[in-house]
Formats: sequence, C-alpha cells, structure tokens
Amino acid sequence: MHLSPEKLCELDEIAYQIRRLSLEMITFGKWGHIGGAFSMAEFLSVLYFQAMSVKPDAPQWEDRDRLVLSKAHGSPALYAVLALRGFYPIEQVYSYCELGGFEGHTDMARTPGLESSGGPLGMGLSVAVGMALAMRFNENARGRVFCILGDGESNEGNVWEAAMSAAHYHLDNLIAVIDYNKVMAKGFVWEEMAIEPFADKWRAFGWDVIEVDGHDIEALADTFHRARWVMPRGKPIVVIAHTVKGKGVEMAEFNYKWHTHAPDAQTADAMLRELARNCQRPEQGYSKLGAEEVKEEFYGGE
Amino acid sequence: MVENRVSGEFGNNPVEMRDAFGATLVELGRQYPKMITLDADLHTSSKATMFKKAYPDRFVQVGIAEQNLFGISAGLALSGFMPFPSTFAVFATRRALDQIAISICFPNLNVKIPGSYVGLPTSRAGASHNCIEDIAVMRALPNMRVADPADGADLRAIMRAAAAVEGPVYFRIARMAMPPIFGADHKFEWGKGVLLREGRDVTLFGTGIMTTFCLRAADLLAGEGISAEVIHLGSIKPIDRELIAESAARTGCAVTAENATINGGFGAAVLEVLGEECPVPLQRIGVRDRWVDSGGIKELFTHHGMQPEDIAAAAKVAMCDKRRRSQ
Repeated sequence: MHLSPEKLCELDEIAYQIRRLSLEMITFGKWGHIGGAFSMAEFLSVLYFQAMSVKPDAPQWEDRDRLVLSKAHGSPALYAVLALRGFYPIEQVYSYCELGGFEGHTDMARTPGLESSGGPLGMGLSVAVGMALAMRFNENARGRVFCILGDGESNEGNVWEAAMSAAHYHLDNLIAVIDYNKVMAKGFVWEEMAIEPFADKWRAFGWDVIEVDGHDIEALADTFHRARWVMPRGKPIVVIAHTVKGKGVEMAEFNYKWHTHAPDAQTADAMLRELARNCQRPEQGYSKLGAEEVKEEFYGGE
Repeated sequence: MVENRVSGEFGNNPVEMRDAFGATLVELGRQYPKMITLDADLHTSSKATMFKKAYPDRFVQVGIAEQNLFGISAGLALSGFMPFPSTFAVFATRRALDQIAISICFPNLNVKIPGSYVGLPTSRAGASHNCIEDIAVMRALPNMRVADPADGADLRAIMRAAAAVEGPVYFRIARMAMPPIFGADHKFEWGKGVLLREGRDVTLFGTGIMTTFCLRAADLLAGEGISAEVIHLGSIKPIDRELIAESAARTGCAVTAENATINGGFGAAVLEVLGEECPVPLQRIGVRDRWVDSGGIKELFTHHGMQPEDIAAAAKVAMCDKRRRSQ
C-alpha cells in the first residue's frame, strides 16, 4: 500500500485538525474526553480520508461503508473528522454540548454522517454486527462496517457476545478497531482490569487480528487496506491500534485525569500552542477566547 | 400441564396466545420482505419457530445473549430492516434494558419487541421468570409504544399495528390460552381503548389477559345487581385519556386490572390520567410489590388476589369509597 507524499501530508494535517477541533469543542462545550479523542486522531483521519467509502453530499448512499463509534465519548474526534470530510460546515462542531446542538455522546438525529447513537460502553459492536448481517441480506459484498471500541470497554460482557456472533456468522465484512490507549477513566488498564493477552482473546473468539501503531499513518493505511481487501476469509477482523491516550499534549498523555475534563480557556490556549509546536505547525492558540465571555456563566460549576 | 391452562374454565375455544403470535409473525413476514425475526434460543417456547420454518433465510439465531440480540436488531433497523427480536419478557426488559433504551429507543429505531411469558402464567419457573415490571419499565422509555393484548385476535391486530407504525414497540404475550373476545375483523388503534360492556356503577379497566377477568367480574357483579362498565386498554402507551376520563366521570369510581406489578404499570398509567383529569376512587388489581413464586397458574392468580372475584370485591370497595365521599 503506497501513499504519495501529498496524501501522507493531507492525512497528517487532518489528524492535527481533529485534535485542534476536539480540544476547542471540549473547552467551549465545557465537557468532554480529551484523552480518548486525541488517541483516535490518526486512525480516524485514515479511515475517513483514505480507507472508507462515504459520500458527504449523500450521507444515506446505500452502498456506503458504515462506522459505529462504540466508545461514544470519543464523539468530539468523530464530529471533527465528519466536519473536515464535508458532512457539515466546520462551525457546526461548536454546538457540541449546547442545548439543541451536537450531543455529548453520539446522537445520530443531531449529527449528519453518524451511523448510530451511543453512550453506554460495550454496545456498539452488536450494532455493527447487525449492520454487517444487513449487508449480507442485501448481498452487498463490497461494503464494510467499521466499529471503534475502547480498550477498557472490552471489560463489558456484551462485547464478547457480539464477538462470538460475528465469528459464528463469518462476518469478514466487519472490521473492529480498538483504540488501545492503555488508560481508562480512573487508571491504567492493567490496574483496573487486566485484559491481556488481548490479541489472543480475539483469536480465541474466531477473529483475525492485526496489531498496529495507531499513530503511524502509513502503517494504518496499509493495515486497513489489508483488512479490507486482502484478509477476508470468513472471519471478522480486529485491528488493535496501540495508541497513547491524550497523544499530542504532554499533560494529558497517559493521564487518566484528562479522561473526562474540560480545560479552561487559558489552559486550552496553552495546550493548543504546545500541540502546534509538537506537530511542527505555526503556533495557534484557542480561537474561542473572546467567545468564551458570551457563554452563560450564571449556573456555574459546569 | 392442564392445570397451567386456566382456559378450560373460560370455555369457548380458547386460543393459545403463543400460537397467535407465531401465526401472525408468518403473516407479517409475507407482507413485509424486510422483516427479520431474531431469537435467543427460545423459539419453540415463544412459537417464533413458526417464522423460522416459513422464512429460514430471515431468521437469525443469536444464542443465549440478549444484549447482543437487541444490539444486532438495532444494526439491522439502521440498515432498513424491521427486526422482531424475540425472547422472554424478563430477559428483554431486565437483561437488555440498556440496549433497548439507548441502541433502539433513543434513536427511535423500527424494532418490534415481543415480550413472551409475561406476568403470572409462565409454567412453574418462579420469580426469575415471571415478568411483572416490564410495563412500568417500557412505558418509561421515550419513543416506546406499549401494548398488552386481551386475546389472539387482539394480539394479531396489535402486531399488525406495530408493523404499520415507524418506531419501537413493546408488546406482551402471555403463556395462556384465552377465549376470544374480539372477532377476526378486530382492528387495533394506538391510543384507543375499547368499550366492551356498558355500565353505570363502576368502571373496570383491563389490559392484556386481565380484560377477560374483568368481564367475568362484571358478570359476578351483575348477579349482585351492580352495573359494571368494562373497558379494554390494549394500548397502554399511548393510552386513551379521553375514554378513561369520560367513563370515570360517568361511573364515579374504577378498578384497574393488570397481569403485572401495580407499581408504575398499567394501573398507575390509568391513575395518572384520572389524577390529572378526573379524580375518582380507584382500586388496582395486580401483583402488589412482591415477587411471584412458583406454583400452578390458577393457584397464583388466587394467591396474588387477581381472580375475577378479587376484581369484583375491589369494585365494591371503590363504590363504597365513592358513596362515603359523596356523603
């Protein structure tokens, strides 16, 4: 799988913009999950700008690929990539967590391009299995269903019910992507609930497994290409993407305290400047600094 | 198993509700090519097996995994199919409540949920299998419609109405043979009750199989010179506010009867309407904040005070209350 230098630059830029927009959304919306949004930036960029077939001007196009975000608290990153891909104007992402705007957790009625609604962990893979079965019923051989799960999410029993059924129905049109960012809401994965040997668990459930550096764009592109076009042989495929929670800003990296936490405007400004430096971009701070003042402060404590 | 079928007592060619369910699944399968029946290893009990035989290509077995059952149904509905995920009511509404709420109801998906083996008549399985809180739980979910049929014709009409409307529906199927109340041409309308018997002194509001018990109670009351009105409310959500208030205003007191717990269920739904529109003395018949034990079906109805005699006695209490308040 060869990507041109231009394409690599584009995907890298998209990943950077996903992080910027996510941080702005979470700051302006006063709620959200920075760590789990940042860890997904590269693979969301590769999925929506390289691997998946979607038509932003026809979101309901029947033969499109589907993506279920099972770890639905990662919504800011998904809202960002959908905006960047052209499903809606970028300004719309700032309605995140506002009454009537984009929901904190995914609500497909609010956001064009979303394929499912979610929030409680462990439920998305079943929904993806249903979609993959539907493609079989519709005799759609090209379509693929992608499902993004968190690592901690695999503590949920429903994940393994779904995994078992996907293998039972030989759903090789289903590709699960695990954001293995090593940190849960209140600590490291290995502290909270041991999930290793993780790849072996999936293999034992009848899946083909690919492990990949979840921040390496070339490796991700190659992985999704293989998962989609080379590997299907009667088994569902799981891509275990090894990532860094909070990747891009030091104070958030591998730090559970930034699992659910909205920075104030000054902290967001510093984080965005650091992110720009780390990504060799011109330094750019929090663009909503002025707008912050117009937000309702009366109820406080949010 | 004769003791498990109160039907003998009701006479008149009772129809096993599960048979009506299986037959209607097949009928709808013919009409709706996008309909899919899913099962969690109970299809010969629920009689979804009739659909499996008729349309094996549109039958999905998920094994004993109810959370997955409803998640898969959501995925199918999101892809344009109309799933009927079939299992026992307890496993649907307890085990998979989160999946029903967030994967299905929140995005208002077109999933039709049959809850089998509701209330007291579930063989002798005991508390874990007697589903009594499903009405309360399901009617609390935004977007969800809830129905409890009185007989086979009502169940068939409810299933047709469920398929005809876009969005999630929960309907109950008792493991019991019921005498026909309605004819083959019976139509069901969401939010519409049916006046089965006019009366002056008290209104008996029934849902599900308890409507037949209400009719029997009205006979008993008639023997004592009491004129009881009987209304069947198969559509629990939406509920027929107009009919409830109008009847209660006329008779001045009421009894509700449900094959479920009275906490938050059907009686509570009627009470909400009466409280807001026409407060009258009300007695509720149903399971009273306790678990249901193993036992013979007839025995259980007696044990929980849910026989026609109990409904008749409750009607007299309501009437007495009405008299006392008017003095």
